[in-house]
Amino acid sequence: MERISSLYLHVPFCTWLCKYCDFNAYAVLEGLIPQYVEALAGEIEAQKARLPVGPLETVFIGGGTPSLLTREQLRLLLDRVRAIGLRQDAEVTLEANPSNVTAERVEGWLELGINRLSIGVQSLQPGALRFLERLHSGVEAIEAIRTARAAGFRNINGDLLYGVPGVDLSGWMETLETVIDEGIDHLSAYELTVEQGTRLGQEVRTGLVRMPDADSQLEQYWAAVDRLEAAGFVHYEISNWARPGRTCRHNLANWHYRPYLGCGAGAHSMFRLDEGTTERRWNVKGPHAYIKRIAQGQDAADDREQLSHDRALGEAAMIGVRLMGGTPTTGNFLDVRRQLVESGLLIARLRPLPSRARISRRAGRPSRGSARR
Amino acid sequence: MSRALAACDGAVLVVDASQGIEAQTIANVHQALDHKLKIVPVVNKIDLPQANPELVREEIEKVIGLPAESVIFASARQGIGTKEILEAVVREVPPPTGDREAPLRALIFDAKFDAYRGVVTYVRVLEGTLRKGVRILMMQTGKSFEVDEVGIFRPERTVIEDLSAGEVGYLIANIRNVRDSRVGDTVTDAARPAATPLPGYRHVTPMVFAGLFPTDTEQYQQLKEALEKLQLNDAALVYEPETSAALGFGFRCGFLGLLHMEIVQERLEREFNLTLLGTAPTVEYRVKLRNGEEVPVDNPDHLPDPAEIESISEPMVTATIVVPSAYVGNMMELSQERRGQFLNMEYEPGDRVLITYRMPLAEIIHDYYDQLKSRSKGYASLDYELVGFEEASLVKLDVLVGGSPVDALSMIVERSKAQQQGRRLTEKLKTLIPRQLFEVPIQAAIGGKIVARETVPAMRKDVTAKCYGGDVTRKRKLLEKQKEGKKRLKRVGNVEIPQEAFMAVLSLD
Repeated sequence: MERISSLYLHVPFCTWLCKYCDFNAYAVLEGLIPQYVEALAGEIEAQKARLPVGPLETVFIGGGTPSLLTREQLRLLLDRVRAIGLRQDAEVTLEANPSNVTAERVEGWLELGINRLSIGVQSLQPGALRFLERLHSGVEAIEAIRTARAAGFRNINGDLLYGVPGVDLSGWMETLETVIDEGIDHLSAYELTVEQGTRLGQEVRTGLVRMPDADSQLEQYWAAVDRLEAAGFVHYEISNWARPGRTCRHNLANWHYRPYLGCGAGAHSMFRLDEGTTERRWNVKGPHAYIKRIAQGQDAADDREQLSHDRALGEAAMIGVRLMGGTPTTGNFLDVRRQLVESGLLIARLRPLPSRARISRRAGRPSRGSARR
Repeated sequence: MSRALAACDGAVLVVDASQGIEAQTIANVHQALDHKLKIVPVVNKIDLPQANPELVREEIEKVIGLPAESVIFASARQGIGTKEILEAVVREVPPPTGDREAPLRALIFDAKFDAYRGVVTYVRVLEGTLRKGVRILMMQTGKSFEVDEVGIFRPERTVIEDLSAGEVGYLIANIRNVRDSRVGDTVTDAARPAATPLPGYRHVTPMVFAGLFPTDTEQYQQLKEALEKLQLNDAALVYEPETSAALGFGFRCGFLGLLHMEIVQERLEREFNLTLLGTAPTVEYRVKLRNGEEVPVDNPDHLPDPAEIESISEPMVTATIVVPSAYVGNMMELSQERRGQFLNMEYEPGDRVLITYRMPLAEIIHDYYDQLKSRSKGYASLDYELVGFEEASLVKLDVLVGGSPVDALSMIVERSKAQQQGRRLTEKLKTLIPRQLFEVPIQAAIGGKIVARETVPAMRKDVTAKCYGGDVTRKRKLLEKQKEGKKRLKRVGNVEIPQEAFMAVLSLD
């Protein structure tokens, strides 16, 4: 099995479940956190013995709201991570809700070796924050960025959402400008997606909420592309931007189709088995079930799926087209590329999209005449 | 309704003291009178604050022609009038006249399927006696069975010794196949069969037709079995296999009316757990060809080439609308828009007006009832009756999606309205067909000539959502599913057409 150098830890607890969220997260189980952290630490230790994992190049603690954990709880987890082997220059990310980003906490995170903070800003427009059911204000989100920066974080991501009902282009740009002005290092800007099974999904289905049409969502997207480019950000994935040298190494490893281990309730893992087969497996979703499994010394995997060579290639391509750097052209892909070129389906090699990809962009722009033939 | 009426000698007519007489009340009374039933009129719910029993009693005499003094006031909830009703039944309804000793003749008026006992056949014995152990013969199908159990309804099934002339009950005889116990058939004694079967039921003719297709092609067999089971106690439901280039294999079904169609579709989906795609309902046209032949057409797509057509006739109905006088104008306006010919208008007690129109059935099934309700704030009631066929100037309107004709979207429309209908239909479809990866033209055509066109713009974006660990698996599965789906949808020119689009033709106003 290919050695694993990326680790994801899932913390599925939140103070409030935002109505659009379809992640594996729970709002009323905070009482379970101590037991859960124990179990998670246990799983990391057990996996270390089972799998060829480490030294780790990236660690990502996501959720849920992992910033709810105490310093001691985070310390326990990171101690277990270090036992696997953590490279000196590893990227260690913690996802944080703006409400939890206090000077005291931030100091603790830095002391524990967390060197990248991903803050769930989402929006700075009061109407949007209310609509999204975020419990923090725009001011608090800005404060969170400043606090982290002042304490010494040099790699801060902001999560943003565009295409939110009630936010027009100027509102969206205001949010974006402010976040850029705060000196953010990385931005993930996602279109608000209506997922089935969420309260937003229900509201859209029953007609209570009307989502903005595709053209106006796209208008906000392209405006962000232009603005961030002008501000010196590198657009490296379809919805992700970074200041030079600040791309998210953990996510890039996933997107470059490199194996990773996921620990925690509902966490997904991807392994490359020796026969060239790709395996995806995922843990039981519920925190209670997860804790029980680990306590009984069992593997937390709920199910697994082995992907054939072709399917894995398809997946890699599906993810790869979202990257401005294109799909990797090494390993298995070399063969496929040669075949494609030989059969005349691929004219030259896949090239990174030029940073100013005017042709494709103009065709996608609603406001400019060239879209209407 | 008609089947149950054939099994009785009398009927209790229950009219709501707060609602008064509705169009369906009149229709049902006429049916009961056709079966020569003795009618006991009752005004129920007289305890309601908004009840006006005196007025309703007057209405019964005026509209239905039953003497006002025979009307019984009742409140089932408070037990008022129950005794009077039972006494009226005993006094008014004639006793059965059949001979208990004659050869057995029992009319099957309903049947149910019981998973443990097989078919439970509901019968009315008109002559002779039916008892356990007897070998019976179904006179139409010629099938023979041994009776396991006979009983009556009180109202749950209760076993008794025998059912004799005049009695209504059920029989269980290890009948496995629902088709062996046909509603309308006559049950007789195999050892001493009756000379002639009972007249049974007038064959009910379906008036509204629609295609039903399983959205999952693997459910075809299940749909077939479900229709068989439904037909067991629903003789009015007819169906035959149909193949649509757009929708695959399904069934063309005939229904008594729109309500019947909705009920059947609802039952298929709920009781049999099927997911169906129904095409817009149409009526049955009679097409006279130039070679003198006359063919029935219940599917717009099957309309012969216009060059071969001499004339087309469509079914006409007499529509009876009962409505408060304030809405008479609205009702008349609506009916005129729908090619209605005014026949009659009568003012009844209680500010009620009875309006009759002669109009094409095709107009009625195109959301006429919904319009009737919405333009009368829900007060109007409607009943209609087929009165014959009438020649009309009609053409077939075809719809092309992405350049390919979609047979299931074709409709037959009045020539003078065709172009306008085509425009409305394409506009409507534009809002209902989701964006694809390419532009999709929607065209309406009459005999090969395009009369309207709209374009669904291409999809602009599809990949901006997040894509982390678990999302990858989910996205790949979605893509694989879409790929599967596309294979099936190739026949519709690569365009996915949702159910609502097939119903769009119903509400073009």
